[in-house]
Amino acid sequence: MVSNIIKLSLGSLLVFVMFACTNETKSIKQISTEIIDTCKYYRSDARQVVSSLSCYTCHAKAEVRINNMPTFSEISSMDSLKIINFAFIKKHNGWFSNTGVYKSARMDTLNDCEIKSVIRYIKDYNRDTPPMSSQ
Amino acid sequence: MTTDLVHAIRANLAILQNQPLSGGIVAKNLHISDNESGELSLYGDFTITLKVLDLTTNGAPNLNGLMTFTQQVITTKLRGGGYKGGISYFKYNTSKKAFDFHKNQTYSVRYNFNFNINVQQINMLSQLKGNDFVLAVVDSIGHQFTDPYGRRQGSGGLTKGQSWPAIVSYNSWIKDKNIGVHEFFHTLGLDDIEDNSKKNRLMYHLGNNTGYSISDLERGDLMEYILGDINNILKKNYSNTSINTDSRLKIFLNNPTNGFKYNKAKFR
Repeated sequence: MVSNIIKLSLGSLLVFVMFACTNETKSIKQISTEIIDTCKYYRSDARQVVSSLSCYTCHAKAEVRINNMPTFSEISSMDSLKIINFAFIKKHNGWFSNTGVYKSARMDTLNDCEIKSVIRYIKDYNRDTPPMSSQ
Repeated sequence: MTTDLVHAIRANLAILQNQPLSGGIVAKNLHISDNESGELSLYGDFTITLKVLDLTTNGAPNLNGLMTFTQQVITTKLRGGGYKGGISYFKYNTSKKAFDFHKNQTYSVRYNFNFNINVQQINMLSQLKGNDFVLAVVDSIGHQFTDPYGRRQGSGGLTKGQSWPAIVSYNSWIKDKNIGVHEFFHTLGLDDIEDNSKKNRLMYHLGNNTGYSISDLERGDLMEYILGDINNILKKNYSNTSINTDSRLKIFLNNPTNGFKYNKAKFR
């Protein structure tokens, strides 16, 4: 009698744990799918962010460096994480932080999707991307 | 790097010998003023030349009309210069007439540029130099792509973007006269717009445009590209450095994935 009760309890617990785990996985999947779907890459929008941050003023698109600052092409060759860390986390030695000399650029108001898009835009500069086609 | 140096020496020699500068962008009478309240005004007279290379098999009878239209639209779009706020750079020192790379400063920049636009036809590749801009006219473009809305699209114009040659199919140019300007503005650094809510913009590229406007930000970006480097304003004159137009045109036209059909005998 006692062993039957123990078996029944363990069985119920096992079923409960299985359901609990399954539900948890589903909700994680749903959330992550939604996050991916909301961020669409529009090249012109990414360019707009790059332009409003005036990246090209210092990081020239030409081959020659301005005041020894890396060109846009040189930055494009860097590892994405390195670019994110320097540009958006350390905010260019704090210049673009909300107390820095370039605080009016408001880099801290960029959302994750905009940052991701900017990184792709920068990396695409050295990639053999498809040509731009018009109707 | 070496090409840039050679070009700079040539440009300076031309100035010394009082010869006209050549290239896609030639700037004269450049100067700058600082209102000491965070606004820089840049001045200059710019001549921009776009060379049109007709590579069609049966000729392009309406080419002159299309070129005139393109010249007029480019002139209209660039007229009045442009403005960009929030430019993070270095402090301009009026007495030294130089930027002080030890002092950071955020500026608004007013581009008070005058433009003279030339759209001229050339007949052979040898008339093209490394720092020229070119719009090549072909019979057709086979390249297709799938747009963000899942529709398959053909191509009336094609380019690799900033500083690259632009190509248009003659028939598409006839159907949409603005396509020549659209492609040329890619060369000057603007990107395509795919957002369906912006069909009224020149750079919208999925057909059925309802207008051909450019935004203030795009205008500012064009000015930025045309000046090249803000330090160029400190020179009196300058012409753009080589963008390898001649070799890029060969590479782009001969890439089979782009599917260009044109008269190869004219490409000499």
